[in-house]
Amino acid sequence: MSEIKWEKTISDVNNEILVNLERPHKMYYVALAISVACVLLFVTMVGYHTVVGLGVWTGFAPPTYWLVDITNFVFWVGIGHAGTLISAILFLFRAQWRNTVNRSAEAMTIFAVICAAVFPLIHMGRMYLGAYWALPLPNTNNLWVNFRSPLFWDVCAISTYFTTSLLFWYIGLVPDLASIRDRVSGFKKVVYGLLSFGWRGTARQWHHYETGYGFLAALATPLVLSVHSIVSWDFAMSIQPGWHTTIFPPYFVAGAILSGCAMVYTLLVPIRWMFGLEKFIRADHLEACIKLTLLTSTIVFYAYGIEFFVAWYSGNPYEWAIFQKRAAGPYAFYFWTMVACNCIFPLIWWSKKMRYNMVISYVVCVLINVGMWFERYNIIISSLIEDFLPGSWGHAEPGLWEIGLTIGSFGLFNMFFLLFCKFFPIVSLSEIKLIMPKPLSGHGKGGH
Amino acid sequence: MSQQIGILAMFKHLDTVCHAVEKVKGRTDFKDHEVYSPTSYHEIEHACAFSPSPVRWFTFVGAMTGTVTGFALALLCDWDWPVVVGGKMPGIFSLPAYVVLGFEFTILFGAIATVAGVLVMCRMPNPKVKILDKRLTDDMFGIWVPGAVVDGPQAKLLKEAGAVEIKATR
Repeated sequence: MSEIKWEKTISDVNNEILVNLERPHKMYYVALAISVACVLLFVTMVGYHTVVGLGVWTGFAPPTYWLVDITNFVFWVGIGHAGTLISAILFLFRAQWRNTVNRSAEAMTIFAVICAAVFPLIHMGRMYLGAYWALPLPNTNNLWVNFRSPLFWDVCAISTYFTTSLLFWYIGLVPDLASIRDRVSGFKKVVYGLLSFGWRGTARQWHHYETGYGFLAALATPLVLSVHSIVSWDFAMSIQPGWHTTIFPPYFVAGAILSGCAMVYTLLVPIRWMFGLEKFIRADHLEACIKLTLLTSTIVFYAYGIEFFVAWYSGNPYEWAIFQKRAAGPYAFYFWTMVACNCIFPLIWWSKKMRYNMVISYVVCVLINVGMWFERYNIIISSLIEDFLPGSWGHAEPGLWEIGLTIGSFGLFNMFFLLFCKFFPIVSLSEIKLIMPKPLSGHGKGGH
Repeated sequence: MSQQIGILAMFKHLDTVCHAVEKVKGRTDFKDHEVYSPTSYHEIEHACAFSPSPVRWFTFVGAMTGTVTGFALALLCDWDWPVVVGGKMPGIFSLPAYVVLGFEFTILFGAIATVAGVLVMCRMPNPKVKILDKRLTDDMFGIWVPGAVVDGPQAKLLKEAGAVEIKATR
């Protein structure tokens, strides 16, 4: 990224960013209303099947059962990846563009993981029965969980990821909440005062804060690589053809970062417009995000290819049959949509002009999100539909109920994100000041 | 400490406040002074010459506790009631599988301890915090000197060092 010519100084940061948050564009409220409507749909559907059971799901039958449920879980965990990548790994690499987008990416992570965590809960159908069998711990049969099961690893990985991301996000928010506390009055001042823990901004506090932030980044960095690796082991540790492969962890991680970066772009382009943040979240910052998306897209492209090669090269007829069916079988539509969205369309970003064209880039990012959902669906359906009992083989497509839940989860995610944008600084006030020209006396006007 | 009587010198520029910090460093009449900054400029940190933050010990102890807890959880449960799956013995023989647990607990406990360390070292939460000047979290820098008065020698020195405003705090 070339050196950015800032039109603003650090004195404009608090004023303009915080004032704009109070007066969003009216389209913000339209977006919020649509999201809330989707959430109501979601709550109604989940409420209904909690009462009557999962039999209401259109495709709830062997051998696929929770097909879309699992797809949504993996999809949302994947979306949650880019937040920690941007906030932790890019922090350690001192990539300056992350300072403008890290806050929203971290918030996106938290909300995406919440959406992901909802699906294992609702997959139980009548959740109160699930709670009855799962609790109390230690259970009465004196039988512990199987610590060698990837499903249990997954619980630990997602919980750790959520907690660490939440801590990382909140500790970053504290100085900014203190900035809001110092601007507002009355009840708001009390609330933001409590939320900011009494931050004063002394050099000594910054010193401890910076040390802690650096260590949190260092701790979160291996998490980025581990979480989706462990999610992939849910599949790879089984002996199911199409899943039992060692390429899954890096392949899943690259896919997760691809979908996460595309989602960051999808969210930030409208948000920066709704809140008038174009002068802070600059086109160059978004272009850097696109470059990262392009990089991960090429890794995913390579993984798709090598996966096919290994299936053929292994000489395992069952493995190869699954892959042939993926590309030319009844689910070929999902496969080729996935390839087009994740590998072909992003190729336009090799052109700098296209990377700066926000309309086209936005469309491609939305398509990547569609493609990444299809990727998870494609992986799950192709192996699950033909299990070890040929008598149960058949054909499955997502029904209206599953589509409704998926749309509802998007509503939930968007609602959380939009509410966050209204009440918290979307751009990290303290961190953006660090990449702006330093307030120097005399002729010292150099950048960071 | 911020509740005490003293003076607050406001600075507009980073280099000026760093220069002032260098001047007052080690002086007995500036004992317990505090430097305020709107963000974490490393120049101020260098000027103040802080020793390495103890937060790193919180992280280390937390992370190591997590490692031990992760492995201990799995091994002690195995010891209490071995769950044999697919004929494979649990316990020490399954140690590679427990690396995942050890790793996750290391990160989890390390992260929680790091945040606890930041809060303890920054003396937070502090509901009784006194805000000396609203501009300190916006775009101004400050040096607060406890026990000093507006027309005292400390105020004069800070004014000479480039302070744009000196005010009394109580």
